[in-house]
Amino acid sequence: MAKKHNGSRNKRRAVIVRGVRTPFVKAFGKFLKLDSIDLADVAVRSLLERTDVPHDEIDSIVWGGVILPSLAPNIAREIALDLRLPASVEGMTCTRACASGLQAVTLAAAAIERGEADVVIAGGSDSTSNAPLNLPQRAVHALAPLAFGKAPTPADYIGVLSQMMPITEILPKMPKIAERTTGEVMGESAESMARRNEITREAQDRFAARSHHLAAAAIASGRFDDEVTPVEAPDGWVHADNIVRGDTTFERLSKLRPVFARDGTVTAGNASPLTDGAAAVLLMSEEKARSLGYAPLAAFRSWAYVGVDPADQLLIGPALAMPKALNRASMELKDASLVDMHEAFAAQVLSVTKALASKGFAKARLGRSKAVGEIDEDNFNIYGGSLSIGHPFGATGARMVTTMANELATTGKETALLGICAAGGLGAAAVLEAVN
Amino acid sequence: MTDLLLENENARRLIRTLGLPIPVPEKLERAKGPYEERPLDDKTVLVGGAGGLQSVLAQVLTKAGANPWVVGGSDDALEPYIGPGEAWARAPRLVEPGEAPEGQRVDAIVFDGTELESPQDLRQLYDFMHPWIRRLSRSGRVVVLGRPVGKAKKPARAATRAGLEGFTRSLAKEIGASGSIANSVFVEEGAEGRLGPVLRFLLSPRSAFISCQPFHVTNLAKGEEAPETHVLGGKVALVTGAARGIGEAAAELLAAEGAHVVCLDRPADDAACSRVAQRIGGSVLLVDITDEDAAARITNDLKERFGGVDVVVHNAGVTRDKTLGRMKADAWDMAVDVNLGAVVRITERLLKNAVLRPGGRIICLSSVSGIAGNRGQTNYSASKAGVVGFVEALASQVAKKGITVNAVAPGFIETRLTDAMPVAIREVARRMSAVGQGGKPEDVGQAITFLATPGAVGLTGETVRVCGGAIIGA
Repeated sequence: MAKKHNGSRNKRRAVIVRGVRTPFVKAFGKFLKLDSIDLADVAVRSLLERTDVPHDEIDSIVWGGVILPSLAPNIAREIALDLRLPASVEGMTCTRACASGLQAVTLAAAAIERGEADVVIAGGSDSTSNAPLNLPQRAVHALAPLAFGKAPTPADYIGVLSQMMPITEILPKMPKIAERTTGEVMGESAESMARRNEITREAQDRFAARSHHLAAAAIASGRFDDEVTPVEAPDGWVHADNIVRGDTTFERLSKLRPVFARDGTVTAGNASPLTDGAAAVLLMSEEKARSLGYAPLAAFRSWAYVGVDPADQLLIGPALAMPKALNRASMELKDASLVDMHEAFAAQVLSVTKALASKGFAKARLGRSKAVGEIDEDNFNIYGGSLSIGHPFGATGARMVTTMANELATTGKETALLGICAAGGLGAAAVLEAVN
Repeated sequence: MTDLLLENENARRLIRTLGLPIPVPEKLERAKGPYEERPLDDKTVLVGGAGGLQSVLAQVLTKAGANPWVVGGSDDALEPYIGPGEAWARAPRLVEPGEAPEGQRVDAIVFDGTELESPQDLRQLYDFMHPWIRRLSRSGRVVVLGRPVGKAKKPARAATRAGLEGFTRSLAKEIGASGSIANSVFVEEGAEGRLGPVLRFLLSPRSAFISCQPFHVTNLAKGEEAPETHVLGGKVALVTGAARGIGEAAAELLAAEGAHVVCLDRPADDAACSRVAQRIGGSVLLVDITDEDAAARITNDLKERFGGVDVVVHNAGVTRDKTLGRMKADAWDMAVDVNLGAVVRITERLLKNAVLRPGGRIICLSSVSGIAGNRGQTNYSASKAGVVGFVEALASQVAKKGITVNAVAPGFIETRLTDAMPVAIREVARRMSAVGQGGKPEDVGQAITFLATPGAVGLTGETVRVCGGAIIGA
């Protein structure tokens, strides 16, 4: 039996007032000309308009991102300046791979709980389309003396040229999501997790189809209308997510070829696609929200971040983080009314759910005698997830917080458990509770 | 001198191309870097035998990152492997007894023979190993598990248990040419929990040059939960003769596991010893261990500077070879005093003054030629065999304090000492081992380091030969 949770009654509580995101759009598509800051501006502007929060009440912006614009990496501050918020609205940007968005939101909640702030905008954005193409370090080192050193002589130019051979070594490298320590591309990690956890191709494709169908149904029903703001891109307005395929079928997905290994199981269909987008959440202290006349949607009961060896199972982190967050909330998995897990890969989601359902895993990895539990499919990723909606790295956490907070507020359900895996072997989880 | 057959690619290729009747030794896979969480990452380990160690094996192997292939007639054999397999995502695979499927290879083979009762039962060993032994990868590993012979109440049972060791020794000679090793481990009833670290060591590349060796895992010494990585964090280790060779290698490996190493050598070796200490962030202690007050000085120094010591490696040693009739008395005295006398004096002093802390580790250097006997080495062999007796006797005396005492007996190791040997003798000596080559100082260092870890608490009073399965030395 879970104990009744009273902890948050005794201290300041941070509440979620509202969340808004841009449509999530396939990378190198309609948002090509909008970088991470532009997308963030749109999301935050819409959040300000929809909530009508007095600008002078805002204490700060906390933003999460993975591919940070190298010339202005502190996106949070750029948002405040772009939107002409009062100069006093300070800002910081954090990065925790795919958990960056959730990290930003929990940082904001922590600051409010500690009494450092009353009103904070948190969220995240990423534009894979605008990932900078880095010059290899070798080219940079060779060229820097010419550009910044003493006046070069012709001999210096020749010397530099000789350092830059062969030419392929100094061409800009395409960005890829590879682990720095292991060199493994994330899809390869998912492939190895599928193999090791015995997740079949069929199970992955069925899960991917489910994600698309649920997301398409949510969009069709207007469920996301309150959460998604249209964006004016150079080629016209974008109103809706464009990755979701409501008409896809398991059969169609099972025809796709594996990408990361010839006899593999991970395909473009059961992996989350590169995506552009932004999501923003308005958080306040409960008293402030009430005094300003807002009806809070939800609050955080707990959160947890963990690390696992990236050379082992890179994306298994949520299987450790989710029990940890539940534990901190004095809850069991069955007490959570809803479970929302980031879908990096179908193989990763199914590996995590399998681990949670395993007694052996619970004993060896969590020191508990019983399995964490089976997730009830009816309450699990009820509107799809990153496989179908898309995954702009930094935005995903804030998207999940928004959708689950709205769900708690509108359905009267009590709690929602969130789980996110992230590069570097990181795992993140949080428990949201309804606010009456 | 380098080993031509091992280091020179052209020579290796030439011999192979011409089909010369010279066995070309396989390059041994050796460990790089400190102890890892998963020393067996993605290795395939074939397990079999119906003993009671299957659940321990399941835990140890899956956690170490191995993929267990379980030989058995039905899914029941998989049962112990299901839970741990889920925990570490290392699902077991059931392998039908009998023929090995075409094209399948395994990195290690582990047989649990703890429940063999009668000589006929040894047939299980044959049935299990026979189809797979030629499917063992290069630098492969074989471990045969049993119960201690001395604890068997029935002579037939004792005979069966002893048979496991003989089997393993002969098998080691057969698989050595491909750089593979085979060892047996006898686990006392109730000491199953102490098997894990021993298996992690024997199945990993850290045991590259240990073969034909029986190990005895007991409950003798008291012990606590042992770490798997950074295994010597916070420990202080004394290594005598640390300026070069095996001592240097041991000092480096101990330091890599987090130990603060006090490098001891003669004052004349100040420069070399200091270099080692500086490189590994250790300290220097310059003492001639044959000095009368050496034991007192070492004990006081360790007490004053570090408040005690956790690991003592008695590595300093000398040879003064002459046949007995020609040997001068001072040659006798020198060898026996450095190799044995000083070891006893220093150890006794450290124990008497309680400078060796509870849970401590003592590792003495013996020698395969010392054990086996060698012409011109009566003094040396007396001292090195004496070490074996010393660790056996001392082990039971200090077990209550959680202290273990073991010896490491190197075989042919490529050092300054062996470089000075005549070419023909050296060449013969190298090929005397099952793996057809000499070992490296780091191979001995790995054995020393393993015995120094908290996880090696199950081993005490042992003499571990690091000889690649040499013909001599029993």
